[in-house]
Amino acid sequence: MDWAIHADHLRKVYPHAPPGVAALEGLNLDIPKGRVYGLIGRNGAGKTTFVRIAATQLEYTSGTIEVLGLDVARQARALRAQIACVPQESRPLYFLNVQEVVYLYLKMRGADPVDARRRTRDVLAELSLTEFAKRSVQRLSGGLRRRVLCAMVLASDADLLFLDEPTTGLDPLARREVWEAIRRTSREHRTLLLTTHYLDEAEALSARLALIERGRLMLEGTPSDLRARVRYPYRVTIQGAFPAEELKSYGRVSEIEGGYLVFAREDDAREVARLALERGARLSMGPVSLEDIFLEVVGRSIEDDSGAKSEEAADEYA
Amino acid sequence: MSTRNRLRSLFTLVLLNGIIPIRTQPLYVVNLLASPLSFLFFIYIVSGGHLLLYGVLGGMILTMLSVGTSLQSDLTHYRHDLKFQDVVVASPVEAPTYVAGMALSELVYSLPALAVFVVLFVYEGWATPFTVAVVAGVLLLVWGFASAFAFTLATYFQDVRETFLFSPIISLVLTVLPPVYYPISALPAWAQFVARFSPTTYAAGLVQGAVGLAPLSFSDGLVDWVVLGSFTAALFLIAGFKARWQDP
Repeated sequence: MDWAIHADHLRKVYPHAPPGVAALEGLNLDIPKGRVYGLIGRNGAGKTTFVRIAATQLEYTSGTIEVLGLDVARQARALRAQIACVPQESRPLYFLNVQEVVYLYLKMRGADPVDARRRTRDVLAELSLTEFAKRSVQRLSGGLRRRVLCAMVLASDADLLFLDEPTTGLDPLARREVWEAIRRTSREHRTLLLTTHYLDEAEALSARLALIERGRLMLEGTPSDLRARVRYPYRVTIQGAFPAEELKSYGRVSEIEGGYLVFAREDDAREVARLALERGARLSMGPVSLEDIFLEVVGRSIEDDSGAKSEEAADEYA
Repeated sequence: MSTRNRLRSLFTLVLLNGIIPIRTQPLYVVNLLASPLSFLFFIYIVSGGHLLLYGVLGGMILTMLSVGTSLQSDLTHYRHDLKFQDVVVASPVEAPTYVAGMALSELVYSLPALAVFVVLFVYEGWATPFTVAVVAGVLLLVWGFASAFAFTLATYFQDVRETFLFSPIISLVLTVLPPVYYPISALPAWAQFVARFSPTTYAAGLVQGAVGLAPLSFSDGLVDWVVLGSFTAALFLIAGFKARWQDP
């Protein structure tokens, strides 16, 4: 397999970190070329640290990491010619207009002015930014600014693009436009490494996903791989009266408003559905969502910034 | 990256951080004119016109040093607030090109002030091939060390507010206390000794000596060039080894 990124026992301890606290703890991760790869995890899980190391912005403590076949520590200069990055919380230079942000970025990378102008025009059209082309960045909403940054790197000729939380702050429509641009870029056989808090986004865009928690890889694979790895790959929602004790024998049961949510194996889920129908309850059944998988593996919602499951969980799933 | 592309990156940075912001907000230029010219006015009034000529030469040096202090703020702001340096690091643009481009862009802001001083320089009848070469060489070195120093410091600052703390101290140590706006002979002996630790003392000595404001023997001039050149080279070396392009 031709890897875009190959990380082997990658460890990162920040200077002045409390003893024993590592941002990445022996992370092994292989990211294939030519696809959108999603990196999901809670705040502080290590996603941005990994992206910054792979994008040559941050030194690592130990282990090895190769990006596009180049050693990040020793061949950074050669690598930088082939990558582009939208860092987390980055903002475009406020005194430029939208068109200048993209055009000057491309020229700064060494693009020919004619080519840079063409690419700028195309990407602004793709991301529905043409009407804002001459508008100062200062006068844009936060969401539009993020979209301009995405346009900037998507217009580049880089083989590997890092998008760290690219749609944070975007409204649903703007998110969809960025998604479409990302899909289009992936069709050009470029690799995109996407970190996101939005699990629907990760699932909609990524050919493969990695779930990181406390600097360790918890799960990796295609969305269907991830479902196959969890204990209960199906969810059944039952609305109406039903003895909870009876449900517990089929899997994990949570109470929801007006009913129950049951996580179960496929056969058990079918049995629960059959019983529910027999008793006249309303139900819906389907594979678990990424959010469900995250909750099971990590023990917390992706939005929960407090402590997580113990480290044994990492060993169980990795 | 080819030389052609490096130059393209360099001039794009000048456009991006120098020309476009001035086009957007011309008050930047007024702000940068205000400091050296008000200092010149102050010296003229206090000295009864006696030190005006020193003020013209000192103003040139201060203008070049202000490139460094502005650069320091911009680099810190771009690095921490906008994450622009991270965008640049993950691109073909190399650190020396980035620093040179940003330092040149800061020079754009200083051009109006420099132009005023050049007019006064010519008006005084100082402009000969020799004096122009000396002044240009000195200003180039001052710009060089101020930029290298600024880049190194900016990579260590965690917040742009830290630059607000350091910039006045740097200006004080490099332009107000050393004999940039007055002859070194005006200082008591102990202060002359202390002033010898500032590179701007040598810069001022060279330009004052070149136009005949202060006596400067060939050997003293040579020493001044060597010290100023060595100081600049040392700061470039420090920037090369100690400045952080990647975060630790």
